Amino acid sequence: MEPVIDVVNLSKAFGPKVVLSNVNLQVQEGESLCVMGGSGTGKTVLLRNIMGLLTPDAGHVAVDGKIIQQLNRDELFEVRQKIGMCFQMAALFDSMTVEENVGFALKRHTPMTKAEIADRVDECLSMVGLKDTNKLKPSELSGGMKRRVGFARAIALKPKILLFDEPTTGLDPVMTDVIGRIILDLKAELGMTSITVTHDLKSAFEIADRIALIFRGECIACQTPGEFKVNPHPVVQQFLRGDADGPFLQDPPPPKRALDRALFHPIHID
Amino acid sequence: MLNSMLENLGTKILVLLDQAGDFAVVSGRAFRAIFKRPFDGAALMHQFQSVGVNSIPVILLTSLAVSMVFAVQLAYGFKQFQAEGLASQVNGLAIVRELAPVISGLMMAGRVGSAMAAELGTMQVTEQIDALECLATDPIHYLFVPRLLASAIMVPMLVGLSIYVGYWGGYLLLVGVEGQSSVVYASDFFKLLSFRDLRIALYKAFVFGVIIALVGCWRGYRTHGGAEGVGNAPTSSVVTSSLWILISDFFLTKLLLV
Repeated sequence: MEPVIDVVNLSKAFGPKVVLSNVNLQVQEGESLCVMGGSGTGKTVLLRNIMGLLTPDAGHVAVDGKIIQQLNRDELFEVRQKIGMCFQMAALFDSMTVEENVGFALKRHTPMTKAEIADRVDECLSMVGLKDTNKLKPSELSGGMKRRVGFARAIALKPKILLFDEPTTGLDPVMTDVIGRIILDLKAELGMTSITVTHDLKSAFEIADRIALIFRGECIACQTPGEFKVNPHPVVQQFLRGDADGPFLQDPPPPKRALDRALFHPIHID
Repeated sequence: MLNSMLENLGTKILVLLDQAGDFAVVSGRAFRAIFKRPFDGAALMHQFQSVGVNSIPVILLTSLAVSMVFAVQLAYGFKQFQAEGLASQVNGLAIVRELAPVISGLMMAGRVGSAMAAELGTMQVTEQIDALECLATDPIHYLFVPRLLASAIMVPMLVGLSIYVGYWGGYLLLVGVEGQSSVVYASDFFKLLSFRDLRIALYKAFVFGVIIALVGCWRGYRTHGGAEGVGNAPTSSVVTSSLWILISDFFLTKLLLV
């Protein structure tokens, strides 16, 4: 079966800094892929290449068999209507209300009437658990609410594919779990294919059908959560442990100061 | 030493050429996008409001001030060789041909162009423009076109207003203060002008409007580098569009007046 998203030999550098080198990923229909990796390893760049916001230096991305980088702008916009993108900082239009944000694509790309759009907006907002926020401005929302409005906006056009850029970063553990559940619900209800970029191991193991780990611009593992856990690669194991010591960091981490701390600032636990 | 100097010069020239090319491409895309669907009437009306209606006070005040100062200068100057009667004629000539279009253009570059650059710049650094792209909306169509149309239509109208206010500014000074005849002022103001002069003034205003919108939007669209970038965008947009207003004013005058 042909994959819905096919990333082939993708390389991208900004000046002398190579961000992605030779990344290959295939996502099948209805599958949920989690992309993990340290900060600044090019996970967002990967999503931006899939969306066509960046042009790769080598290789290509094909969505539904169409190579994104070879499309003209009109064709590209056609493909983008099938993809929903959730930005890390939500990127809501701050001059519009929540309602206008969610209904934006509907108003522009569908012949729906105002009432139909309002219904669809309510439906999308209730899917992310944000009923009755329609008239608020983005500046009146908390970080987690903004993300969820961003989700609602991304699913308004009923896309086949959803891309999440660090949906849980900077949220408290409870909200992280809420977001994880919403992603699972969307997958179950709408059967969407999704790529989620995340740092959060717990939600990744919940959401993912497969987990990919990007390390120094290369994809070093792409397997089911069960296999990922027992992957013997030292980088994978260090990432899972969340330990500073190991091959993961380019520069060696600062030494542990446990001994000093224990000597000069003893903590008394009664 | 020489090598590095040449290298720097070369880099600067390349950057300049690169920017000029980028501006040309973006402008071309903006002009083409004018005729694309869907047509966003609400956004256009909003821009008419913010570009046109909200600029009326600024244009009123500047035109009044400039025309009055100019009338003072002319009245004083012509008095030295007993030709006070010429003051109103030259005032009319100066206001319609140059002062109204150029002063209004520069004021609009400061008021409207900078606002466009700041707004689009903020949208760029907060990823809102990327979000537009992801919602399958061409930012050039959605953001540039209403601003371009509003500016191209409203700046000539404001220049019309500015000429009208300039007439009364001169009247206030020459008739009210200098004691010239109001009937003579009314006929003398237009004595050295023909209808063509008004038409040229409006052509100029149209070109200035296009320059203001395109430069403002383009600077905003190409903003990078966070808060500092957003801070630089309006400044450089005002400087660039003011320069181009003055340069194009010279060439338009030279071309249209012949």
